[in-house]
Amino acid sequence: MTTDTRSTGPTTVEKPAGFTILQIVLIPVIAALNYVTGVIINILKLPLFMDTWATMFGTVVAGFWVGAAGGFLYNIMMAFTLWGLPQWVWGFINIYIAIITWVLWRIGWVTVKSPAKLVAAGIIVGATNVVPTTLISWGVFGLMPTYAGTAWIYAIVLASTGNAWTATVISSIIAEIPDKLISLVLAAVVASRMPARFTLRTPKA
Amino acid sequence: MSNTAFGILKSGYVARDTFVHRLDGRTKFLFFLWISLFNYAFYDLYVTISSLVIVLSLAFVARIQKFVLTVLAIIVLPILLLALGIMAGPFGFAPNKTVLASVQVFGFTVAFYVEGAVYVAVWTSRLAVTITAALLAYLTTHPSDLAAVMLKSRLPYKFAYAFLATIQLIPILTNEISTIYQAQVSRGLNVKAKLIDRFKSIIVLMIPLTLGAINQTQIRAIALESRGFSAPVKKVMLRDPKLEASDYAVMTIIGIMTCVFIYLIWTRGLVPFMVGIQYVRPGG
Repeated sequence: MTTDTRSTGPTTVEKPAGFTILQIVLIPVIAALNYVTGVIINILKLPLFMDTWATMFGTVVAGFWVGAAGGFLYNIMMAFTLWGLPQWVWGFINIYIAIITWVLWRIGWVTVKSPAKLVAAGIIVGATNVVPTTLISWGVFGLMPTYAGTAWIYAIVLASTGNAWTATVISSIIAEIPDKLISLVLAAVVASRMPARFTLRTPKA
Repeated sequence: MSNTAFGILKSGYVARDTFVHRLDGRTKFLFFLWISLFNYAFYDLYVTISSLVIVLSLAFVARIQKFVLTVLAIIVLPILLLALGIMAGPFGFAPNKTVLASVQVFGFTVAFYVEGAVYVAVWTSRLAVTITAALLAYLTTHPSDLAAVMLKSRLPYKFAYAFLATIQLIPILTNEISTIYQAQVSRGLNVKAKLIDRFKSIIVLMIPLTLGAINQTQIRAIALESRGFSAPVKKVMLRDPKLEASDYAVMTIIGIMTCVFIYLIWTRGLVPFMVGIQYVRPGG
C-alpha cells in the first residue's frame, strides 16, 4: 500500500521570503517604543518629542529596514488614530532618520565609545532633518506654529521678517537639533547595553 | 499628549451597537480618506466647518463623542490658540490686511486680522475633521475586522500583523513603563528634579523597558512560528466582513458628494462660498 506523502505531509518552510520572523516581530516593538517614549516625556515633563529614538535604535540593532519600517508604522498608526490622515507623511521623517542613522552607524559615528562623533552625528541628524520637517509643516499645517516650546521664536522671526518659511525653518532648527541629538545618544546608550544575542544587525564592513 | 489621549489609544475599540459600528471597516476607511482629501482641497471655512459638523454628528451617533472631543481639545485647540495669537495677530503674517478687531495694550494698538484668522481657522478645522474621521474609523472597528479589512485590501499579512501588534503592544508597554517608573521612584528617581537630571532619568526608564520588550520578541517569534506564520500557505481570516446595504448607501452618498465637490471646484474654484476672502497659499 502506498501513501501520497505530498498531500498529507507537514508544511515546511524552506526559505521565508523577505524579513525574518524576528525582524517582523521587532517592527511593532520599534513603533510601540516610539509611542511609549511620549508617555515618559509626559511623565518627566521634558520639552522634547523623542518620537524617533526607537527608529534610530531599531536601525542600529536590527538594520535599516527594521528601523525604517518601525518608524513609518508608528506614524501610520498615529495618523489613523490620534493625529489624522495627512500626518502619515511624518513617516517619511522616520525613513529619513533611519537612512541617516544607518549611514552614520556604518561609518562608526553612532557609538558610545566615541562621544564627540556621537554628538556630531546627533547634530547632523537634527540639522538635516529641518528640510523634510519644514516641507511637511508646509503641506499639513500651512506653516503654522504647532509647538508651544518654540512658538515664541516663530513669533519673533515672523515679526522681524514677515516670512512664515523663515519662521518655521528657524523654530525647527531650535527644536530639532536638541531633540535628535538626545534621541541619538539615547539610542546609542540603550544599544550598547543590549546583550549580543538580541542583536539582529549585519556586521559592519 | 496627555494621559487622557494615551488612555484612548490604550482602550482602542469602543464596543457599542450603533449604525457607525455596524458599517464595514472598508466603508469607514473610505469615508476617512474621502473627507480628509476634500478638506485639504478646499480653502473655505464653510466647507470645513460643515464637514466638522458632519463628522462630529457621526461621533455622537457612534457614542464616542467624549473620546473625540477630548482628543480635539488636547491636539487641535492648543494649535488653534497658538496660531491665532501669532498669525492673526500683529506679527506680520504677510496676507493680513483687513482689521477684525483691535485692543489697546499699554497705550499700543494691537490689531487682529481677518485673513490670518480665516487662514488659521481653515487649517485647524482641516486637522479637526481628519482627526475625528480617523477616530470614527478606529474606535468603531473591532481589531479582528481591521485585520480582515487589511488582508481583503490585499495588504501583505506581515504588514497587517505589524499594525495590529503595535496596537496590542502599546497598552502592554505603557503598563510596563508605569511599573518601571514606580520601581525607579522607590529607588530615588525624582521627576521634579532639574532639567539635566530629568534627561538622565530617560535612560534609567528606557533601558529596562527596551530590553524587556526585545526579550519578549523572541517568545513572540516562537509563538508565531508555532502557528505557521512564515509558512508559504494561504492565510485564513478569523472574521470575514461583508458589505451590507448600509455600506452601499454610504458609498453612494460619497460618490454623489464627490461629483458635487468636483463641480464646485470646476465652477467656483477652491474658495466656493466665502465672500471677500482670497485663497492664501500655505505660509501666505
